[in-house]
Amino acid sequence: MSSVILTDSLTKQYGKKTVVDSLDLKVPARSIYGFLGPNGAGKSTTLKLLLGLIKPTEGNIRILGQKVTQKNRLNILAQTGSLIESPAYYGHLSGKENLRIICTLKNVPLRCIDQVLAIVRMTEQQNKKVSQYSLGMKQRLGLATALLGMPKLLLLDEPTNGLDPAGIQEMRELICSLPQKCNMTVVVSSHLLSEIDQMATHVGIIDQGQLIFQDTLSSLHEYSRSRIILRTNNDSAAMKVLKQSHIPAGWSENTLTLKVHQENRIADAVTLLVHAGIGIHRIYEQQMSLEDIFLHLTGKKVSL
Amino acid sequence: MLSTLQRRLWAEQKKSKHRRIWLIPFAFFLFEALWMIWQFTSAHTEELTTGYLMLFYDLPIINTIIMPIMVAVIASRLCDMEIKGETLKLLYTLQEPESFFDCKYLAGAKYLFFFTAGHSILILASGRIFHFGYSLKISMLIEYLAVTLCTSLVLLALQQMMSLISNSQIMPLTVGLAGSFLGLFSLFFPAPLARLVIWGYFAAFPCVKMDWDRATRITEFYEVPFPLVGFLIFAVFGILLFIICRIIVTRKEI
Repeated sequence: MSSVILTDSLTKQYGKKTVVDSLDLKVPARSIYGFLGPNGAGKSTTLKLLLGLIKPTEGNIRILGQKVTQKNRLNILAQTGSLIESPAYYGHLSGKENLRIICTLKNVPLRCIDQVLAIVRMTEQQNKKVSQYSLGMKQRLGLATALLGMPKLLLLDEPTNGLDPAGIQEMRELICSLPQKCNMTVVVSSHLLSEIDQMATHVGIIDQGQLIFQDTLSSLHEYSRSRIILRTNNDSAAMKVLKQSHIPAGWSENTLTLKVHQENRIADAVTLLVHAGIGIHRIYEQQMSLEDIFLHLTGKKVSL
Repeated sequence: MLSTLQRRLWAEQKKSKHRRIWLIPFAFFLFEALWMIWQFTSAHTEELTTGYLMLFYDLPIINTIIMPIMVAVIASRLCDMEIKGETLKLLYTLQEPESFFDCKYLAGAKYLFFFTAGHSILILASGRIFHFGYSLKISMLIEYLAVTLCTSLVLLALQQMMSLISNSQIMPLTVGLAGSFLGLFSLFFPAPLARLVIWGYFAAFPCVKMDWDRATRITEFYEVPFPLVGFLIFAVFGILLFIICRIIVTRKEI
């Protein structure tokens, strides 16, 4: 699969502070690339660097196969739509008038307005002043603006910010439908693992400006190997019995964990414990949460 | 098919829809028209003989007071919609920041151009209505309009820069208001010091001067040669200031 975005050692420094540190992004075509990281990790800065809104201190950017320079930036961005941080709008104008301005600047036919309004389900509110829109409606207008001209690449920075649960679900469905419906590649940043988990096909995780993981979502899930948790009436005795029988087990944070995944080995462990007179209250499989994966990758707990 | 520049100017025009920005220069124009009516209806017949000279002496001083405020308000009205709507991060992906600054500037300059054109109509109409004695010297009118337009265009670049880099419009509007006072006071400053105050340049290139006789209490207006060299130096300075303002705005990272 060819890459729509490729960055090489992309770095941005403000004074001595490195906000984006040698980033090598690789966004495959027609993917939904979840760009994940805690607040202040450098997600928005990276997206702004991609759009040329800020200049990199070091590194190169290739978008749609072309190296981005000051000269060709606008030509490349003509095939790109973006929604950075919060929707951009003219509050004193209606939604449709806002889209008309962007159409004129993008040199896109005005008939595209109806199409994007239908996609974001804003046809009925198009003549209302944007200052009277709810945040969700403004967000949808922002997405409609980004969709004008049906760009090949869409960069969305926290598009579900401030939306209610129904709005989040709606936005999610909309984003998920774009690669197939409109043949687009979507980069969507978020600080919520669960959100990326429900939308993305590929994931890049950024922390303190550094890319700490980049692969498919399924590869990320490989980190989430399950553990077998045992709840007994005597964990220390159970641990002793398992050790004597050379069945790998661990005990931490008041939890006894079997480090085996084969079903017959699990059955052996249970039989041993029962014969040793240890009562088993519960036995269950626990998946590693994405927060745990992040902890595993970064070695530190982060509120996501 | 529209060219890129035409499309950008058209978009700039569309942004101002419903904002009624034209009301600002119109209100100031009305104020000056009312001032003229008051001035000439209360003037003696002999005073009206030098009506044009009186106008070309008084109007630059009035412009020094009102134009900095008007320019600040126009720039603020044009720019605050971009700040409030956080549109720059979108616009800069559609047009070069320099082009955005230029189009915004032209949108503001349009109002100043119409305002100045309105001035010429006002001056001509005054002459007709109040039957000024001497005929109007076209060169004098052109010199006056050039100074008014040029000074206000220089101020527009400054005000636009401040309005685009500030998150609130209070600072640029305060500067406009303060500039109005400073400009007026600069008329009483020693010449080298007065040259440092750009808000006072509306009255810095007089083509008419006044002589007031304390004993007879008679005011006499007389023509002086237009300081063309000084004006051209100021125009060059204005272009440099525009470039500096543009660099400040376009270098600001979003």
